[in-house]
Amino acid sequence: MPLIGFLINPVAGLGGTVGLKGSDGVAEKALMLGAVPRSGERALLMLNQVRRKDILFFTCAGPMGEEILKKAGTSLINIIHHPAPDTTAADTREACRRFLSENVDLIVFCGGDGTARDVFDVTGSQIPVLGLPAGVKMYSGVFALDPSAAASVLDNLESTGRRDAEILDIDEEAYRSGTLATRLYGIARVPVLGEKIQPAKNIFEEQDEERAKDEIARFITRVMLPDTYYIIGAGSTTERIATHLGVKKTILGVDVLMNGRMVAEDADEKTLLSFLDEKTPARIIISPIGSQGFIFGRGTQQISAEVIRRVGLDNIIVVATPAKCRATPSLHVDTGDPSLDSAFPESLQVISGYSIARRKNVGR
Amino acid sequence: MQTKILLDEEEIPRRWYNVLADLPSPMDPPLHPQTQKPVGPGDLSALFPMELIRQEMSPDRFIDIPAEVRDVLTLWRPSPLYRAKRLEQFLKTPAKIYYKWEGVSPAGSHKTNTSVPQAYYNMKAGIERIATETGAGQWGSALAFATMLYDLQCTIYMVRSSYTQKPYRKSMMHVWGAECIPSPSTKTKSGQAMLAKDPDTPGSLGGAISEAVEDAATHSNTNYSLGSVLNHVCLHQTVIGLECREQLQKVDDYPDVVIGCVGGGSNFAGISFPFAGDKMTGKHKEIDIIGVEPASCPSLTKGMYAYDFGDVAGLTPLLKMFTLGHDFIPPSIHAGGLRYHGDSPIVSRLVHDGVMRAVAYHQSEVFDAALTFARTEGIIVAPETSHAVKAAIDQALECRKTGEAKTILFNCSGHGNFDMSAYDAFHAKQLVDYEYPDELIKQSLARLPKIS
Ligand SMILES: Cc1ncc(COP(=O)(O)O)c(C=O)c1O
Repeated sequence: MPLIGFLINPVAGLGGTVGLKGSDGVAEKALMLGAVPRSGERALLMLNQVRRKDILFFTCAGPMGEEILKKAGTSLINIIHHPAPDTTAADTREACRRFLSENVDLIVFCGGDGTARDVFDVTGSQIPVLGLPAGVKMYSGVFALDPSAAASVLDNLESTGRRDAEILDIDEEAYRSGTLATRLYGIARVPVLGEKIQPAKNIFEEQDEERAKDEIARFITRVMLPDTYYIIGAGSTTERIATHLGVKKTILGVDVLMNGRMVAEDADEKTLLSFLDEKTPARIIISPIGSQGFIFGRGTQQISAEVIRRVGLDNIIVVATPAKCRATPSLHVDTGDPSLDSAFPESLQVISGYSIARRKNVGR
Repeated sequence: MQTKILLDEEEIPRRWYNVLADLPSPMDPPLHPQTQKPVGPGDLSALFPMELIRQEMSPDRFIDIPAEVRDVLTLWRPSPLYRAKRLEQFLKTPAKIYYKWEGVSPAGSHKTNTSVPQAYYNMKAGIERIATETGAGQWGSALAFATMLYDLQCTIYMVRSSYTQKPYRKSMMHVWGAECIPSPSTKTKSGQAMLAKDPDTPGSLGGAISEAVEDAATHSNTNYSLGSVLNHVCLHQTVIGLECREQLQKVDDYPDVVIGCVGGGSNFAGISFPFAGDKMTGKHKEIDIIGVEPASCPSLTKGMYAYDFGDVAGLTPLLKMFTLGHDFIPPSIHAGGLRYHGDSPIVSRLVHDGVMRAVAYHQSEVFDAALTFARTEGIIVAPETSHAVKAAIDQALECRKTGEAKTILFNCSGHGNFDMSAYDAFHAKQLVDYEYPDELIKQSLARLPKIS
């Protein structure tokens, strides 16, 4: 019997319907403007498509889960938290702490990037999470494509794999004024459905995330050039490259390596530029972040437009595991410098294994 | 206008054509894996019967096909040459497109053209068992058929991922009485080493070759057989091009463009060597000869022309060829038969010399072409073959632009009846367009020490 922690952020998505771009801290204003909560509906859509009847749900009383579960006709419900009427992020965190102590197999939450961060604050990468998109901003990589995709994860939970998914921190204030500033907040684990098994000639794309990361790292470390600065972006795939070199990388930050050694840890833009002042060649190794496939978002504050210009567009190496590639239909750049954005080629090569790459279009 | 241009059984070639005789200078010899000295016939005698070794090194322009072998070839030869009228109309091209249909053989591809003579010479030499490898299963089934004809035992090391995912090719091998083992296996030292390194490995063609070579080298009643790459294999396949030349002559035509897909190079060699001979001897200097490979495994277009091993373990002689490196495991494209790190040394040499050229395509565009072909000419080709179809269509479309009425000939090397899941994947938009990161590799290779 699968144990699922289930929670709904009842105010997720409120801001969007009344043009507020996000709901963090503005729920009340949104409700006053006539916003209608819709995260419950989304959750119901999913629950109605779940076929199995053996799931035990742990959830919160009232609108944070119980009501919708009952509406969907679910009977195996275990209430672990009773929130006050005006639910807050603290309720989400408290629920997640309870989920952890109940040893649930998966947490399914219905919300947006803000909810994802609240969940991650408690769970980290200890147990897998799955977001049901209902917020305004869903740039984090933890969200299922739609309610039916989430339902089939639940139906096939026992045969799912796991992959890393970035949780993004998005500057709400800036976002409301029209600027997308994303920052990597943490790396959670999400369940992934196994590819449909096809009796084809030779399918052996690496399905195992950890092996895939090793293959990529083995290849990149083999083609790294001497006396060259390698600016290595955030994320767990790029981290593995450093591990293969015997170097400990800051997973959320940007590091600089040369000849297999760390020369600058968690570097900021100024530090990066100071290296690029010299005549030494440099490369950037980067992995797409989140569901939108950002390789250079404005939030990658360290790897700024100026840094990219100095390194040169030809010297960017993009890496991503096959599972990540599947979850990321195209790459995205938004450096804050439109002329640089448009200088990017139509498509980039993404290294996804040992000597193996694939093409991905670049959106901007 | 004739759709099928047919020959009588009497017109099956009596001699294979050896293009080595028409090369302007000798080939770089294969080198012994340990001593790095040119290999002699004795070095190969643990693996091959003497007649095949002789053919591998022969300077003779023509080599007789034994009557017993020709007799078996009559089961499917001469194969038909088609004029692709419906495809031409669909493409609105002024070009004339011909295709040689090799899918009529019992195993469904050109591979039986060499499996039969190879089994025959081994039988003649008193060999009792043949070991080989197979990637997608085409070669394994062709050799199973041939060894059955001559009462030889046959052990086939099949790349593990295909073994589990392509059950019907395995069934064919069983019908014809062969033993089929997933590779890497525990039966050989090299297989054990590969498993020790990575118990979950999906296997590779280069790895399966190591196992089959080791099996043959360590059993005195057993020889090894390779389905592509080697000179004698290419030699046996020249019946394809020789027939084509006769067939085209019957309709008073001669190709401007000759096309074949390239895995190890044997079907491409088969259709093109007679024409490459015409080109090198000055009879038809202008002919354009094009080998087509996958963008994910682009040995001719992106590889290095250098000495390399034919297998993972480094048991085979070093061959001078275009290679991506013997440790390269190509990604999982559906054209399993094109997933080989190297290429025929003769094809490599001719590409290097500019007698032939090569192009590479992604897998979704070649399946798109295969669909066009199936919907005009009716034949559902193997994923390998679809690469040649794509290049032929591109040439014909180019003619539409320029208004030239070129004669395009391509080798339709096999049918795709056991590859329908690949077509399903195409329809479901599940095909990934893999490519080879050649820039990164070239930058780093430039500083590697030269091997030998
Ligand atoms: C139908 C078909 N065509 C082509 C090939 C490629 O081999 P080669 O380059 O030796 O012709 C294969 C190999 O399995 C095949 O099955």
